[in-house]
This record gives sequence, C-alpha cells and structure tokens, in this order.
Amino acid sequence: MMKKALHRRVLTVVSASVTAAALLSQAGLASAAGASASEPTLSIAEGVIGGKNPQENTAFANAIGQALHCKVQLINTSTGNYDQKMMAMLAAGQKIDVVYTEGSTLAELAKAGEVTNLQGMIQKSKVLGNPKVVPQWEWDNIKLSSPNGKGIYAVPVKYQGALMAIVREDWMKQLKLSPPTTLSQFYHVFEVFKQKKGAYGLTLASLYDIEPFMSAVGVKNGYVQQGGKLVIPYATSAAVPVYAWLHKLYVNGLLDPNFVTNSTADERNLFLSSRVGMFVYWDAWVPMLNNLAATQGAGASFDAQALPPALGPNGKGLVSKGDTSVFAIPSNAPNKALAFKFLEWWNTKPGEILGSLGVKGIDYTVKNGTYLLTTAGMTENLDHGDPEPISSYWKNPFPRMQKGYANARAVGVKYGYQPLINANWNNAQQIIWQYADEAILGRLSPSAAVAKMHAELLRQHYIG
Amino acid sequence: MGNAAFVAINLLFLAMIASTMIVPLWNAVAVSFSSDLGSMQPGILMWPRDFGFTGYTSIWTVLDLWQPFENSVIVSVVGTTVHVLFSALAGYALAQSALPMRRTITVGILVTMMIPFEAIMIPFYVTVQELGLLNTLTALILSGMVSGFSILLMRNFFLSIPGDVFESARMDGAGHFRLFFQICMPLSKAGLATVALFEFVGRWNNLLSTVLLINSASKDTLQVALNSLINQQSSTSSGTLITTNVKMAGIIIAVLPLILAYPFAQKYFVKGIFLGSSKE
Amino acid sequence: MPLYAMLLPTIAYFLIFTYYPLAHAVVISMQQFNLIGHRPFVGMRNFLAVLADPNFWSSFRNTLVLGTGILVIGFVAPILIALSLNEVMQGWLKRSLQMIIYLPHLFSWVVVGGLWIQLLAPDGGLVNAVLWALGIPPVQFMSDPQLARWVIILVSVWKDMGFNCIIYLAAIVGINPALYESARVDGAHRWHEIIYITIPSLARTMQVVALLSIMGLLRLFDQIYVMRNAVIEPQVNVLMTYVYDQGFQQMNIGQATASALLILTVTLFLTLFTRRLIRYDTV
Repeated sequence: MMKKALHRRVLTVVSASVTAAALLSQAGLASAAGASASEPTLSIAEGVIGGKNPQENTAFANAIGQALHCKVQLINTSTGNYDQKMMAMLAAGQKIDVVYTEGSTLAELAKAGEVTNLQGMIQKSKVLGNPKVVPQWEWDNIKLSSPNGKGIYAVPVKYQGALMAIVREDWMKQLKLSPPTTLSQFYHVFEVFKQKKGAYGLTLASLYDIEPFMSAVGVKNGYVQQGGKLVIPYATSAAVPVYAWLHKLYVNGLLDPNFVTNSTADERNLFLSSRVGMFVYWDAWVPMLNNLAATQGAGASFDAQALPPALGPNGKGLVSKGDTSVFAIPSNAPNKALAFKFLEWWNTKPGEILGSLGVKGIDYTVKNGTYLLTTAGMTENLDHGDPEPISSYWKNPFPRMQKGYANARAVGVKYGYQPLINANWNNAQQIIWQYADEAILGRLSPSAAVAKMHAELLRQHYIG
Repeated sequence: MGNAAFVAINLLFLAMIASTMIVPLWNAVAVSFSSDLGSMQPGILMWPRDFGFTGYTSIWTVLDLWQPFENSVIVSVVGTTVHVLFSALAGYALAQSALPMRRTITVGILVTMMIPFEAIMIPFYVTVQELGLLNTLTALILSGMVSGFSILLMRNFFLSIPGDVFESARMDGAGHFRLFFQICMPLSKAGLATVALFEFVGRWNNLLSTVLLINSASKDTLQVALNSLINQQSSTSSGTLITTNVKMAGIIIAVLPLILAYPFAQKYFVKGIFLGSSKE
Repeated sequence: MPLYAMLLPTIAYFLIFTYYPLAHAVVISMQQFNLIGHRPFVGMRNFLAVLADPNFWSSFRNTLVLGTGILVIGFVAPILIALSLNEVMQGWLKRSLQMIIYLPHLFSWVVVGGLWIQLLAPDGGLVNAVLWALGIPPVQFMSDPQLARWVIILVSVWKDMGFNCIIYLAAIVGINPALYESARVDGAHRWHEIIYITIPSLARTMQVVALLSIMGLLRLFDQIYVMRNAVIEPQVNVLMTYVYDQGFQQMNIGQATASALLILTVTLFLTLFTRRLIRYDTV
C-alpha cells in the first residue's frame, strides 16, 4: 500500500519535471523565432499608445511599420509601472529608439543628457516645424523641462488638455443659476445645489484641483520664478482667502467630506450619480461623462459642461494644463533618424488616425470615404494614445461623440497655462496638500497652514 | 465555563471575524454584476444595483483573456512545482545536523529574505538580460525558483518528523534521496500543501516582475492584462472610461481560480486536524 | 555528497539571482547613477545624503511604530484564530471559516486598501453609518494622523492573519495525537489541553513566524502606498515609500539604492538582535 502510493508520488514528480522541462524549452524557442533582419527595427517604449489587447497591439505596431518601412517593436507597459520598467531598460543598456515620458521625468532625463536635443531637427522639419501642426506654446511648455530652458528634448504625443470646473449644466438651467465668476457666486451655486438637489456642491481629491478657485486671487500652481528665485504661490499669504473659502464650504456641508481620501474615480462616480454638482477635471472627460450618462439613462437631462475659472481682480482667469506627455529619443538610440521620422509621422493625418480611431479593419472601416467604427472601436472610444491631436488640420470624423468638448477645450485654450514643476515638486506638493487639507478640515487656521507650509518647504530646501 | 458556552462563544468570535472577511469579496461580486452606472454609485454595495452582465462582457470584448490566462497557468503551475520540489530538497538538507557548514548556508539563505526587491531591481533585470532570458516565460518561472521562506518552512516541517522514523529507515540502508522521497515527502503533506498554496497564490498575483521581464503582449499574464484595466491611472487627461463594474469583474476573474484551487490544498492541512479530533 | 546535491539548485539560484545583483547594487549605491552613459563613483556620498535627510529619519520612526504594532498584534491574532478554529468540530464549518479568513490575502492591496478607505469614509462609509446609528458623530478615520496609524496596523493584521493562521493549522496537524490522549486519560479540561499541549507544541512555529515577521518589518510598502493621503503621510510614510519616492519619482537611483541597502543592514541587525534575545538555537 505504502509502496504503491510512493511509486505514484515519484511518478508525479518525474512527470511534472518533464513537463516543466518541455515547457521551458518551448518558451525558449518561441522567443528565438521571428528574428530575421533586413529592415531596421524601431523600438518604442510607451505606456499609453496602442490597443487594448495583444492582437490589437501587434496590428498597431504593424501599422506603424508599414508606414515607415521598418519593423516595429512596441514595448507596452501599463501606466502604473511604466517608469520602473523604463528605468530598468535604460539602465541595463537596452537600446530604445523612442521613449514615452512626462514633463517632470523629461526634465531629469534632459538634465542628465540622456535624451537627444531635437531643436535643430524640429526647425528643419516640414511637419513639426509648422506652427499649424504644433503651435509655439506647446514648444514653450516642453521647454520648461529643458535644462536652463534651452533646447527642445521631446515632441508632444497629444493635446494634453487642462483641468477645469465641470458642472451639472442641467441643474444650473433648471435652478436658473447664472455661470459663477467669483468665489461668492460659486458659493451661492453650491448652496442652491445643496438645498434643491440634496447634493454636495463640490468634491475634490485632496487639493486636486483647486486652480479654478485659486484663479480668483491670481495664484498659480507649481513654481513661479520671482527675482531669480523659485517660489511656490500656493504656500504664500496670497492663497489664504481661498483656503478660508474652502474651509467654509466644508463646515457648511457644501464640500464632500470624503475629499481627503477621494480618488479621481470617486469624484467621477459621485458626479455621475448626482451626489455632487461640480468637480474639477479634464476637458476631455466632459464628452465622456455625457456619453456614459446618455447610454446608461442617468436621467435624460444629464448635461456636463465646463465652466471658466473664478476671475481675478484684473478680470483674468487661470486653469492648469496637464503635465505634457511626450515622446523623446534616448541619447543612445540606434536609429535616431528613423525615430524622428516616427515622431513626424505621428503628427500627420495617418498617424493621428491611428492614435485616435485605431487600426483600420479592427477599430474602424472606411466605406466611400466615410469612417465607420466597429464594436471594438466603439468601446475604445477613439483613444489609442492620441484622442485629441494637436494639429489644427485635424478634424475628428465623429463629432457626435463630443458633446460639450468644444466649449471645454475653449476654456483650456483661453485660460490654460503650464505649471512649472521640477523633480522636487512631488515632495513639495505633498507638504502643501497636507497643511491645506488640515486648514480645510479646520485643524489649522488658513494663515497658520500657509506659515507651516512655507517653513517646511524652506527646511527641506524646496524653495530658496 | 461550561463546554456548550465555550463552543458558542468560540463560534460567535469566528463568525464576527469571518463576516468582515466576506465583505470585500461580496462587495466585488455585487458591483461586478451591477450595470455600468449602477456600479458607480458611491458607498459599499451588498447587492447588485440594476443586475446585469455588462461588467463581464465588456472585459471579454476589450481584452482577449485566453492567451494571458494560459500564460498565467503555465507560469503558476510549472513555477510552483519547481519551487516546491527545490525548496523541499533544500529544506531537507538543512534539517540534517550532519550537513557541514549548515549555519553558514542557513544564514546565507536568511539574508536573501531581508533584501528589499527595490534594492536589486535594476541589477536583477541586468542579470536576466545577461542570461538572455528577457521576454521569456522561462524567466518568470525561474525568478523565485526557491525562496528562503519556503525552505525555512519545509525545514521546519521535516524537523518535526520524529527521529525514530529516520533511524529505522537508515537501518535499511536508505540514502538521503530515498529518505526524502519515501519518508519525508509523504509525512509532510501539510507542509507541502502550505508551501504550494502560498507559492501558487504569490505567482498568480505577481505583477512587478512580469511587467519588468516581459515585453511582448502575447506573453503577458492575466494579472498584467487585467491591471491595465483595473489600475488605469486617474491623472491622465484621457483614456476610455472604465466603469467600476468592469474593474470588479476583472478582480473576480483574477481571484476566482485561486478560490477554486484553495479546497485542494486545504484538504491536506485540515484533514489531519479533523482525524485527530474525531478520535474522541 | 547527496546533501550538497540537494542544495545545489538553491545555492546556484541565490548566487545568480540574489547575491550577484546585490553586489551590483552595492556598486550602484556608490555611483552617481545616470541611466545612460557615464556613472562616476562618488564614494559614500549617497549614503551620507540619505543619513542627512530628515525624511529618511521620520520614515524610519514611522516604520518602527507601525511595524511594532503590526508585529505584536499580528503575532497574537493568527494564533488565537488557529486555536479557535481548531475547536470547531464540524468539518464543513471549519473548512469554510478557514477559507473565508484566508480570503483577504488573495486580494491585492489596491483592492483591499481602497475598500477600507470606503468603509471608513465619513460620508457613505459603513463604519460611520453604524456609529451614526449609535448616536456618535462621524469620525475622519483616514485623515486623523493618530487614528490612521491604528487603521493601518489593524487592516494589515486583518489582511494577513489568514496566512499565518494556515501555517499554525498545518503545524497543529503535526502534533502527536498521543499527547492529547494521555492528557485525556488524566482527565484534563479542554483549556488545559490548549495551554499545556497545543501552545507549547507550536513554539517552534511561533519562532519561525516571529522571525519572518521581523525580517519583513522594514519592507512594509504596498499597503502604505495605497492607503496614504496628504494629511497622514508624515505619520505613515515608511522606509520603503521613501526608497520608492527617491528612486522612481525623483529618479535618484544611486540614493534610492543606498537607502535600500541601509534598510537591509538595519534588518540584519534587528534579526541578529532578536535571535540573541529569544535564543534560537536552531533557526
């Protein structure tokens, strides 16, 4: 009996190891296949472009390869782990032609000379040198990440958009409220929302994002240069009235009390389920919110619209633009010319179609010159990394999915500015958010909170 | 205290704890079967709001999960088998007092358990690259081939086997490999089941090393495929709107195989107790 | 030597995939680590920078406070549960309860952390709803620095209790039934069996679990990463979040590696110290 069981066990172990060995060799073979070279291979490391599944990613890479006459290796990493992966690859000496990155990381890469200065090539380029394709202000924003503001080290992936107050326009109309332009008018809107709709006026995710309200005192997010010194306006006495105003909202039950722990997904959920009347989010989300509400029957009247920010004493307003997502070319890239050709192509019509609609035959079809979305294309919502191309030549073939977008984009273009940030910003921001949140909760007075922020930022040398 | 009261209080205590454990799973199930908009209502759902399957159908239309699922099964099953075998072998060797340099080797293994992965992440990546194993499932199976944790645990189980069992076998002239396969392994089913369960769960849920070592989507595991949906970064200006029911459906799909596999492992580490106490 | 043959795969694995990378990490920690190109040696400068950083020390303090809480409560809880489960006589009930208690361990911290934040929310959270029904005003659990530490400790224990519980249950199986039988002959009460037989028999397992917990003490990360927010960060940021913020947000890989190696050193000392203290003769 015992012996029999034993034989069976040994057999299991042996067969398991054999299977393992077989699988191991198989896996090894699979990786060796498909490596024959005559065309160059363009390798792109990215976290945002491409399809939603392996097949689609392959098709996406092939589409780029066909256009540029090369092989394309698309190294796709989900956003949460992208930076870790990119650093490991570069540090291990892997040769990559194009890397996706964002403003603050770009600043570090450029400072250490790890990405290529593209300014000369851009000026000579018929595509990227054309201000109608990439407007000058985009280059100015990217230059914020260049060492000493000199040189251009990256090319934008898409129009990044801005963060603005998004309101239930249907409630505004129904309750006969006019668009607020001062903090007290915003307060009034919230008060009416609370009384008539039983909803919170405003929700936030910690201090993300209060720029449309800071706008009332003309205070910018991030750093500003002042007399050769870096200053953080949110940590100056100029910001005190806005913190006091937010505290008043909290005390009077107009601000969602969960704001300290909210994620942005929580904010969206609250807004879509009519638990809150306003939040601050991206322009690109206005049509997405409207689409979702429409397809799900969230009340036929649901209408999300962007609002201009509270205006400052000089009549001007501010909303912050997103940290630019860009493509850069590592300094050791083996195919720099080809890589640059890809950056140009990405900003031409075929590239823009691929980045927004997706792959022909999978996401969309063309019949007699009209574009038709497939079911896959529908679910992916015109986003394959470039939902809103920068070029002024671009026309979206599907305007019906864009309810509220034109207005929202106009707010971003009119009031938007690019906050200046550097590698210390994450830590500095944490200090500001901590004391500001405590001021809103009422544990500190607004002026004490600002004083503490300032002292702490000085102590850690985040400001001079 | 009377026996009945003791049993009742004990059950009450366990029931209270267990009820808090049910909440996350139940909430995830309820949300995953809600409609898109219903799932986005704030608060904890204990029952689906507007019952529907859209969470699951969206996942299958957007993601093709068969390939990642297959990869996950290969990596988890083969990886766990290899891991349990080699860890048990090492555990056995370390349980022998006759082993020269036993202390040194044990300390060497203990130290590996204290190294934060972030400290060696980049060098680890370089090593895998030097071995030419980047972007292979082999790399995923090899990474974590043994672990100090499992070795220690197995060694501990082997140590609790009464010494006279060995003595009689050794009288028959059995060598170490025979002792290991014929005596220790069968007597340590509970230990093997424990290590296998932990390793399987760990491998099935592993994200970071897969993300690091795999470049082509066709070799991604289920966790990586689902993570791109579940952990969609919120601070990007665009992206398709992934509703909460889809996220929760993803979480359920990822965790279901573990829940189904659990009873098989459990059989071993509960049966013994059951037999022991039923002798009353 | 058959014993060495048994150890060979393990030794080879650790040399190639752990010690060789570790040696490489020591080199990195002494470099100004540029991703591409030249990496000049800077001696001990990265280590000195870490030691001079007040954030490192506050993270260190938080790690000790949170770690001790998790260590103590997390050590007792699974023993209690395992003993308690062992007293359940109905097999199906025991199996189901055990499985349920293990459930949270199957979910990632992203899921569990997010869920607890919701459960504890002042508006719409289940816990505050219960408090409200009892006439207690809502509590800002996650934005009160002192409470938040307790939340972190208790949620951590809650999630991992089922894991260690399994180790104990597997060890209880190994207890020689003859011990219980002789006790029963002597007419011992169930309590006495637990106190005089079961618990002493688990001593070795307890040592292993304690040692494992201490070695993991300084590596607390995922939970904090998911559950922290701006208000509580100064009280809950730990050493590994420091390494992460240094390495991946500020791209300061040399300094991040140096701090990770310091953590390793401290862990080594902690482990040595505990071994002396508890006088392990075998582990």
